[in-house]
Amino acid sequence: MKLIYTDVLVIGGGLAGLRAAMGVRRRGLETLVLSLVPAKRSHSVAAQGGMQASLANSVKGAGDNEDVHFQDTVRGSDWGCDQIVARMFTHMAPKAVRELAAWGVPWNRVRKGRHEAVINGERITLTAPDEAHGLITARDFGGTKKWRTCYTSDGTGHAMLYTLGDRAIAEAIPVHERKEALALIHDSGRCHGAVVRDLISGELSAYLARATIMATGGYGRIYGVSTNAVINEGMGQALALETGVARLANLEAIQFHPTAIVPAGILVTEGCRGDGGLLRDADGHRFMPDYEPEKKELASRDVVSRRMAEHMRRGKGVNGSFGKHLWLDITVLGAAHIDKNLREVKDICRYFLGIDPAKAWIPVRPTQHYSMGGIRTDHRGESPWLRGLFACGEASCWDMHGFNRLGGNSVAETVVSGMLVSEYVADFCASAEGNLAISTSLVEDFVSREHGRLSRLLATRGSENAVHLRKRMEQIMIEKVGLFRNGPDLASAIEELRGLLRAARKVGVRCQSRAANPELMLAYRLPRMLKIALSATLGAFQRTESRGAHFREDHTARNDRDWLNRTLYQWANEDDELPTLAYQPLDVASMELPPGFRGYGAKNILEHPATAPRQAAIDKLMQNHERTERHALQEALMPFRHLLPERYRGNNERLSEPLP
Amino acid sequence: MSRTLTFSIFRHNPGDPGSRPGLDVFTLEEAPGMTLFIALNLLRDEQDPSLAFDFVCRAGVCGSCGMIINGRPGLACRTLTEALPPRITLLPLPTFELIADLSVNTGKWMRALSERLQTWVHLDEETDPDRLEEPMEPERAEAIYELDRCIECGCCVAACGTARMREDFVGAVGLNKIARFRADPRDKRSEAQYFELIGDDEGVFGCMSLLGCQDVCPKSLSLQTQIAFLRRKMVQIGAGFA
Amino acid sequence: MKDVPIAATSCGPARLDLLQSATGLFLALFMWLHMFFVSSILLSKDAFWTVARFFEGYFIFGRPIPLLVSAFVGFIFFIIVAHAALAMRKFPATWRQYRTFWSHMRAMHHADTTLWMVQLVTGFAMFFLASVHLYLMATHPELIGPYASADRVWSGRMWPLYLLLLFAVELHGGVGLYRLAVKWGWWSSNDPLRSRLRMKRAKWGLTLFFLALGLMSLAAYIKIGIAHAPSAGELYLPDWLQAQP
Repeated sequence: MKLIYTDVLVIGGGLAGLRAAMGVRRRGLETLVLSLVPAKRSHSVAAQGGMQASLANSVKGAGDNEDVHFQDTVRGSDWGCDQIVARMFTHMAPKAVRELAAWGVPWNRVRKGRHEAVINGERITLTAPDEAHGLITARDFGGTKKWRTCYTSDGTGHAMLYTLGDRAIAEAIPVHERKEALALIHDSGRCHGAVVRDLISGELSAYLARATIMATGGYGRIYGVSTNAVINEGMGQALALETGVARLANLEAIQFHPTAIVPAGILVTEGCRGDGGLLRDADGHRFMPDYEPEKKELASRDVVSRRMAEHMRRGKGVNGSFGKHLWLDITVLGAAHIDKNLREVKDICRYFLGIDPAKAWIPVRPTQHYSMGGIRTDHRGESPWLRGLFACGEASCWDMHGFNRLGGNSVAETVVSGMLVSEYVADFCASAEGNLAISTSLVEDFVSREHGRLSRLLATRGSENAVHLRKRMEQIMIEKVGLFRNGPDLASAIEELRGLLRAARKVGVRCQSRAANPELMLAYRLPRMLKIALSATLGAFQRTESRGAHFREDHTARNDRDWLNRTLYQWANEDDELPTLAYQPLDVASMELPPGFRGYGAKNILEHPATAPRQAAIDKLMQNHERTERHALQEALMPFRHLLPERYRGNNERLSEPLP
Repeated sequence: MSRTLTFSIFRHNPGDPGSRPGLDVFTLEEAPGMTLFIALNLLRDEQDPSLAFDFVCRAGVCGSCGMIINGRPGLACRTLTEALPPRITLLPLPTFELIADLSVNTGKWMRALSERLQTWVHLDEETDPDRLEEPMEPERAEAIYELDRCIECGCCVAACGTARMREDFVGAVGLNKIARFRADPRDKRSEAQYFELIGDDEGVFGCMSLLGCQDVCPKSLSLQTQIAFLRRKMVQIGAGFA
Repeated sequence: MKDVPIAATSCGPARLDLLQSATGLFLALFMWLHMFFVSSILLSKDAFWTVARFFEGYFIFGRPIPLLVSAFVGFIFFIIVAHAALAMRKFPATWRQYRTFWSHMRAMHHADTTLWMVQLVTGFAMFFLASVHLYLMATHPELIGPYASADRVWSGRMWPLYLLLLFAVELHGGVGLYRLAVKWGWWSSNDPLRSRLRMKRAKWGLTLFFLALGLMSLAAYIKIGIAHAPSAGELYLPDWLQAQP
């Protein structure tokens, strides 16, 4: 049995994982990164439109700061997020962008003087001041008050991932590619590392570490059509769930992106609409202003997606050969703009649709895109139930997105959470708790259990076909756990998914090779995917309200009174067919921004009893602090800085807010 | 006008002692909008579950699925079958270590390349992230991104006669990376330091300008221009004109 | 970051690459001029006679000095050897490399890759064909003239060699010049693909032009050679020299 020791094991080589590894490395710890694929091929690379950070350099970003970004984020989450975490995040985002700028990301820059932009379908002229020339610019994204999304053309994720990937190489961080963690090694509520399978040779080994960081991304691939990369199968969440100890949260909070192309489900960035693109229906009519007169195409993603689905239900969808869809019209932006700022979109249209988006409309429909939920952690990224297990990025639910995330906030989250969690991990390793104390026999037990499972799969041809089971799961998720959900559909989905989970335990493998065997991979991943699918569906069934991306046709109100809480999932026994659910309330009394109306559609909220008193308390405090500087005022409302690592507590400089 | 496609696919699993290299033939009914991503997954789902290949983003941005498609390297995910004749031969990318069937270890090759060419911004000192960022001319940033768009798919290496003959050649991917960092004012390396990395026959002077790289690059990078530019710059240093 | 001096030993490849290009460029341009000189036979025998004597210094020294031609031929031979030696560094070094390139080229169907094999083959051929020609020129520089050259072509049965050499030279030189242009980025524009296409067209145009010129000249020599066969060996004298007593 091969044992590999390190201080910090990072599972996942995307933006979050790489940044976390660099953070602990810079604190003098040994680390290594496991990755299913070469790190630079991680799904982070597919992020197109950009990363939110309140730099306030662009003309339309003037006046932006952490406070505005915080409010947008909390509203976007439909008040489902942890406001402390959202505060930490918005405080960190400018630092993250600037750090990346120093390391080599070629962020697009402000050009002084007049330039054209398309806003609300009309060409207007903006004039950038001289002093902003050369600073990082930003584009408009949905659900934001300011132009805040920093970008490099529409290859932001690529530019960031390559910069971080190269930086990791520069700092000699080993990345063990084509390795898959099969189980977390743990006892008495302490995680010690993972059993890892080499996807080339099939060999099993144990990676033992003082702390383990999960940065494995989301679980979009439990859906048949998703904008996610094919590797986003939720294995990180499943591994945490299978410990029986660690808990997941808010799995039912699943985002559907308004504009994925039909039928391939490939994303075209929100930047299309941010830069002025419009949504049109079968009649060529721009319909979003009819539903959301204020934010129109740039309402929050959950809102736009729902409005699109609603509009198609009203018979206004285009009947394409691959089902109903709507049009995304970016012809208004002109070829020059597309060639420079939306070139991936152009490539995607050219190769997958055979059209030129400067001339033709793009067929789009809402498609599964992002998992707001994940491994539940505290604000430090650590699982409260399984110490030494940390998570960051999309894999985690430290809960800055609540029930809907804003475009551009997840790319920012990856790096920010990597920066923060690595500091907390380093602190953890330095503490008395952070020592690695594990018996060889425990490791042997875990490795031989995984070995036994694989051997059983290889020993039998099985009575069930894994491909069919998986396809059925994907179909159920699309049909019954989609944009619009209801009790009966969810109940039947749960029943059927349980049947699939039972059947998945009878799957065998025909190809007998342990090395490079895709059939074997599917066989052991399938039950894990089903557990995630079941959890998400059960969570959606139980949550009898509509919040953010979770919309119940039979419970259309946002119910703060009963549901201002976080769903927790635990898979207590291996043989269980359903997770055990629990709920963690959000504390209204300590919120900086008490629950309110997001401003979309008609107000349909059941208020929480603590909301009004909290609002009154805040109003009073604001009156007393009319002349108080904004940072101090914020500190009075909801202190968070003391929770940050010391090195990151400083204020962010802006042109309008120079640092001494 | 539905066609039946005949796929000849290279099969070999070096990790399986019983496996011998060869071509397997599969047939498949073509569907509208079918890409090689869809076709290969159908073959694996319905005909041979052991068929190994790599896809990640399936949208032409991650660079995982480079393979030889009817003789030429390309990204399988965005290759529409309708653009191909009914007989399609798929081979793994040469030069890279074979994992199984159509899956090759480009990641290992690229990491070694990065380490060898030190493909990162070499900083003099860390900046304070609380402070305003260093300004940069907008055109400069755009020019850097232009060179930064490489997805390390390995197509340029597989299409390069030089790289095929000489395994130590850095290929267009390596030269383009040096061009990218040279163009970046944040990288504080001198011309002489770049010369030490690529001023030899494994570097820019090994390139024979066959331009296979230019003609297959899925991102249409200006490899020809960049390599010519580097050659001029490096010769100035190497031949003592600068 | 501080400047690191470059070790003298690491400059080899840069210099050799530049030299390969420089010798190639020189030879290609020389071959074009050479072709113009040779094709003066198409104007008249006198024209060619004048060109040949010119290079022997006849119009400077008042008498032909064939040794000048021998010396120049020696110089060209030296450049050819140097160019060949430099280019050989890029040739496949082993049978395996050769096989790899060959199968790669066949699979790719890529013109620029295939053209490299054309260069390799023509270069290889030229090394022999050109050597014969250069040897003859160096040892008998005085036998360059309308009759002497034509006799060599026809009665000396050299025309097959010249025919092969013509194709080898023009293909090799044309491809070589095109390669130099893309290699060093000459005449490139904002749209490198278009300028490359233009260069390629120009390359084929020039190759066809010089092939045509070469074939016509060779035909002229053959025609003169056939007519002059009965008195092969006799040297040509222009009328105005014959008219002198």
